[in-house]
Amino acid sequence: MIAKTTTIENTRNLLEILPTIDIGEPEDIFIAMENARCPKAELTIKEGDHVLLYQVIGMRYGPFFNQPIHSTVSGTFVGYEKHLHRSGKMVNFAHIKNDFKDEEDKSVTFERTPEEIAKLTREEIMEIARDRASAGLGGSSFPTYVKFDTKGRKINTILINGIECEPYITADKRMMVEHAENVINGIKLMQQAFGTKDARLCVKKKYKDIIAIYNMFLSEMPDSGITVCPVGNFYPQGWEIAMIKSATGISVPSGHLPSEYGIVNFNVSTVAGLYESVRYNRPIVERYVSVTGDGIKYPGNFSIRNGTPMKYILEKCGGYTHPEKKKVFILGGPMMGASLPSDDCICTKTVTSIIVLNHDEIKEENCIRCGSCVLSCPVHLKPVQIMNAVKAMDKDMIKALEPLKCIECGLCAYSCTSKIQVTDYVRRAKVIAKL
Amino acid sequence: MDTETIQFIKESAPHLRRKDSLVRMLLDVVIALMPVTVFAFIAWPLGALKNVLISVAVMEIAELVFVLVTHPMPIDLKKHSLIERIKYGLTSYRLSNFLAALVSALIFALILPASTSWYALMIGAAAGITFGKLLFGGTGNNLFNPAAVGMVFAKVCFGSSMYYTAPFAGVGEVIASPTYLAGGQYSILDLFIGNVPGTIGETCKIAILIGLVYLLVRRAADWKVVLTYLLTFALLTLAGGLTVTLPRGGNIPTYGEWVLSHLLSGGFLFGAVFMVTDPVTMPITTPSRVHYAMSAAIAAFFIRHFAALPEGVGYGILIANCLAPLFDYPKWSSEEWKKKDIIIASLLPALSIAIVIWAVFAGGFDL
Repeated sequence: MIAKTTTIENTRNLLEILPTIDIGEPEDIFIAMENARCPKAELTIKEGDHVLLYQVIGMRYGPFFNQPIHSTVSGTFVGYEKHLHRSGKMVNFAHIKNDFKDEEDKSVTFERTPEEIAKLTREEIMEIARDRASAGLGGSSFPTYVKFDTKGRKINTILINGIECEPYITADKRMMVEHAENVINGIKLMQQAFGTKDARLCVKKKYKDIIAIYNMFLSEMPDSGITVCPVGNFYPQGWEIAMIKSATGISVPSGHLPSEYGIVNFNVSTVAGLYESVRYNRPIVERYVSVTGDGIKYPGNFSIRNGTPMKYILEKCGGYTHPEKKKVFILGGPMMGASLPSDDCICTKTVTSIIVLNHDEIKEENCIRCGSCVLSCPVHLKPVQIMNAVKAMDKDMIKALEPLKCIECGLCAYSCTSKIQVTDYVRRAKVIAKL
Repeated sequence: MDTETIQFIKESAPHLRRKDSLVRMLLDVVIALMPVTVFAFIAWPLGALKNVLISVAVMEIAELVFVLVTHPMPIDLKKHSLIERIKYGLTSYRLSNFLAALVSALIFALILPASTSWYALMIGAAAGITFGKLLFGGTGNNLFNPAAVGMVFAKVCFGSSMYYTAPFAGVGEVIASPTYLAGGQYSILDLFIGNVPGTIGETCKIAILIGLVYLLVRRAADWKVVLTYLLTFALLTLAGGLTVTLPRGGNIPTYGEWVLSHLLSGGFLFGAVFMVTDPVTMPITTPSRVHYAMSAAIAAFFIRHFAALPEGVGYGILIANCLAPLFDYPKWSSEEWKKKDIIIASLLPALSIAIVIWAVFAGGFDL
């Protein structure tokens, strides 16, 4: 088939929007020491120490920022254990035995009244975001406070990414339905921080219910400056450059920051989470996660304590279907998520979804140069020619084809007539081009 | 629950694939060829049977041998019988191998006349698939359209024994008749419904158009290529017609009819639907595909009118196949329309028209 892919077909019967269920608390909580952005970490507590909910138990050291580590339950710290991290690496986790009391660390948390919040400056909000370890909850785990530092550039428009463009993940959608007030308060906080009125909440056109809910809320606040901005239903609409183009009409060239064009963008969960952090001066300890896939018995959206082991979550979902079949265990969306070699991993705060698929053997055929990958590529690369250059190990050609522009959306492999893993070749090309 | 027994497989993203396959695409082309094939069997029962049977058999055998040769048993210092070796090679033979050869074979059978002798068919089919496809590495790697290569080979070697016969003639009364391009006079309606002499697949334009609609609905052909090919050819024919008034005596009164009869004559429409659209032999990006279709149409036009041959569609497609890697050179081509793409796309037909006018006025050519 010679055709451009715009929407992802539901070929695997993945779940659509379902209400959120609190999955409960596990007995053991594991808190990641290092993560993808911070390769070094240190704990300030010793084995056997009693820890409180929200307590700062250590620090992560990154190349250009440090991030405090917070406990997500109250209980006893028993030691370190190695588990799989979302990034696929074996990482040290701090093992905390839950005492199910949720004793808060009163020295940290306090409530700010709306009046107090209204007085906060950008620097103060930035500081809260840093101390409460607020990070991009869309999956990037990019520290939020860095985005507040616009290097003196004037911000005109704040875009809130509620698109959740990966197909069949609905955690953000549920969050937007169930916590609309937090989202709106979070957007107001952003308006206050950046000193601009123009804030747009980007939602896919087809989610008429979400658009209606927010229009209802916003109609009571005529001067808020917040608008709901329905954008296209296509994939990858959630890619920040595609979103900025759809919402404002500005095309940001690759390699430039949106703030150079007066735009700053946040994920909707990040915004709602930051508001909670500011209101109660506490870090995020829970998040919404979609659990889905044809390898899971009871899929659903769950509210999950950070640090919960996957095995606990899967048990609550009734376990696996067809235990005799091989499974693919994916953290993240079906298009970009990474698959892990085992389910022995921990749900950290950047996990947006857990997908378990029954493994399908895909037979690759010869490329017939149909051109679907070229038609579908959102950054106008030529994935098939990159693949041929990688096969020929032609370094000059690989560089000329600019694989570093690739956003790894996966559309080239998705739309391949011959079922070739084109995206993998482009990933290899990126490695070669960087040499 | 015992999760220890579950086996996990690591695979890279994306984990979803479009409902689509190479087999589906090849099957679509085979289905699109069916109306033409059925017409051929009705109009020239014996000729069509001979053409199709011989070319399918030869090309399928060649493809099978190719699969066996390219997938030898690994050396393990043990003796294996020939049967074992063949069985091992056959594990690599897939449905797509069969269908790809079937598509080439059907097209090759349909672009030769019913009078083609069995040895011309055999040698043409073998040469077409070998030199056109297998030597380059099989499906997906070929530079040239295998059917066109086979047709050219058969015509060059055995052209003098080929002649065109009218359709629906009973057995025994075979009379060679001139095609439209060879000077025969036929009405547009006859050209359209296929009541004219020609190769067995190219005459019935209704059947070809049904195939075209099916291909476009199933997205098995790139509509931009078909459209560009048709438009460029029509434009050049119109320009030629305007330059030479009354091109064919008094018989063709209007330019519309002149253009239409050229579009409907010979193998042009068949080539436009089933041969230029072969994705393997065309460039990858949209602007390059447009340039490719233009050059195929221009080459077909010039060969048809200025060369010693009556028909140029097959040759034109082969010439464009040669140019495809040039249009497709990764450092030049791009999916976005750039200024130079538009310049090439407008210069190609403009220069061709200029050459037509110059050739007619200065060279004294008669179309």
